[in-house]
Amino acid sequence: MLGGFILHLEGIQNMVFKKVAFFLLIATNYLSSECIQSKNSNKIVIAGGSLTEIVYDLKEEEKILAVDVTSNFPPEAKALPSVGYVRALSTEGLLSLGPTLILGEEDMGPPLVLEQLKIVGVDIRVIKDDFSSSSVLSKVECISKIIGAKKINTKRLITNLNEKINVLEANVKKNNRNMTILLILGLQGTSPIAAGHSTSGQGFINLLGAKNVMEDVEGWKPISSESILMKNPDIILVTKRGIRSFKNEEAFSKHSSIKFTNAAKNKNVFSLDGMSMLGFGPRTIETAIFVSENLIN
Amino acid sequence: MNIFTSYFNFLNHLSQFQKFIFYSLIILFFIFFLISISLGSFNFFILDLFSYQLDSLNKIVLYEIRIPRVLLAGFVGASLGISGASLQGLFRNPLADPGLIGVSAGAALGAALVIVLGSNFFSEYFFNTFALPFSAISGAALVITLLYFFTRGFGYQGITYMLLIGIAINALASVGIGILTFISSDSELRGLTFWTMGSFGGASWQIIIPALFIIIFTILWMIPSARKLDLLQLGEPEAYRLGIDIQKLKFKVIISSAIIVGVSVALSGMIGFVGLVVPHLVRLLGGVNHSYLLPASAFFGGSLMMSADLLSRILISPAEVPVGLITSALGAPFFLWLIFKSRKI
Repeated sequence: MLGGFILHLEGIQNMVFKKVAFFLLIATNYLSSECIQSKNSNKIVIAGGSLTEIVYDLKEEEKILAVDVTSNFPPEAKALPSVGYVRALSTEGLLSLGPTLILGEEDMGPPLVLEQLKIVGVDIRVIKDDFSSSSVLSKVECISKIIGAKKINTKRLITNLNEKINVLEANVKKNNRNMTILLILGLQGTSPIAAGHSTSGQGFINLLGAKNVMEDVEGWKPISSESILMKNPDIILVTKRGIRSFKNEEAFSKHSSIKFTNAAKNKNVFSLDGMSMLGFGPRTIETAIFVSENLIN
Repeated sequence: MNIFTSYFNFLNHLSQFQKFIFYSLIILFFIFFLISISLGSFNFFILDLFSYQLDSLNKIVLYEIRIPRVLLAGFVGASLGISGASLQGLFRNPLADPGLIGVSAGAALGAALVIVLGSNFFSEYFFNTFALPFSAISGAALVITLLYFFTRGFGYQGITYMLLIGIAINALASVGIGILTFISSDSELRGLTFWTMGSFGGASWQIIIPALFIIIFTILWMIPSARKLDLLQLGEPEAYRLGIDIQKLKFKVIISSAIIVGVSVALSGMIGFVGLVVPHLVRLLGGVNHSYLLPASAFFGGSLMMSADLLSRILISPAEVPVGLITSALGAPFFLWLIFKSRKI
């Protein structure tokens, strides 16, 4: 490429123009094409648990070639070949499976691998997510369009989801809206790691119509025990994986930083499956309904 | 009583000035302790601590959360400080650090095993609060045993050989941690990352009481070797001719450093540069003889760590900055300055 560059010095302006045009093309492509039907969606690789869930719910699972390790639901998905971790995909590994379409969440990567796959001509779609109930719906619609799912299945899933969202919103209205929630990803050897703003955790807390005690902090950050007590959350949500070093929710509630909070006093400490809470697939709505119903009782 | 007074013989080897610095450092340690337990998400007025006017929530914060945490920070700092000082003396190398002989790495590998593989290997009854410290200490102990056998009881071929083994062990342990990082899930990865940057957030009485006993006894056991470390500075053959049992001295210093560093890493993760920097600062303050250096490094290390932990708690509250970031941010420039200074000479 460098040789060509030197040989065609006189054409440099032309080249710069071409490059700009190329980038513009890629950029517009990236913005507009995400939800257009793929030319060939018979061999799909999925990187992202919520997407796998949706494809199964759309009854198009026979098109799935392989999934990543976060795709642990439905249980059958675990039997599919694995392409590893969603942020650490490998070009050769993926290509050896011969996929025609790759569906990924926004954290799919690394970027270089995605570039290489695009060059080879694999159709890669990044499904956007803003961690809200409407984005679960738009994900379903988008994926349905891309893989050309049957209209009837799509409609049934959307109706079903809308019903659930209505149930959830009704529950949220019945609850006290000023509840505060602390959502903990895990605590092992360090301070608990909690959800700040711009995380899927914040999205889940919004679904419950509550206030995140860590909303001033961005991302997943450790929170000190005494800050937990000072913020005194009404509800504590924790991933099942995060408390596996404790026997159960009760043992976890007795942890020194948890046991004096309102949440522990009123038994509002819930341990939930991480992907079903934070994946923002159809299950996330169900999990939110589960929590909101427990709060009403 | 006789044993008690003879223990404090090391004070006789201190000059008037060193005694002044040493006692000042002890006072500094208690001042930092009081400041650290008064500041945080909840603030206490120092005098309130001694009255009974605190309401129940404040009492809980102070006695169940704040004091164990500050104590742990102080004792871990003391451990890292004194083990750095004695290892620098033993290796006669100003750049020696508890990390150098591979003990921290062994402990880190043990902890990483629990964080990532945890529940698959331990039964539910064993797998409670103690699993991580236990595994980290086992990792440290394994490294000590390896060192012991490779150097035939620390006697074989001198100190350089041991440093080389330390490097190899460090490399092996980082491969292990790397593999665990590779296979870990998203939340485990976050746990692992934050753990390697150090935190005193896991402190609770049931965990720290055994640790404090181990650390106090080991430090008390180390201090009497100070005089022998002084003589060792003349060189191994000279110290041997002056009647020092070098093998025994190496055994004592390495085992005791390994124990306290293992315990420290187990409870607080990886905290860099304290073991390296503290002895140098203490030498700058008052001199190089180990009777002064060892105990003063313990108190200074403790004070430094308590203030680093205080910063970690209050800088971006309610979130916290990993304490290892603070100590490394202060320590790394100092390390560069040391290298720069030694280059000029």
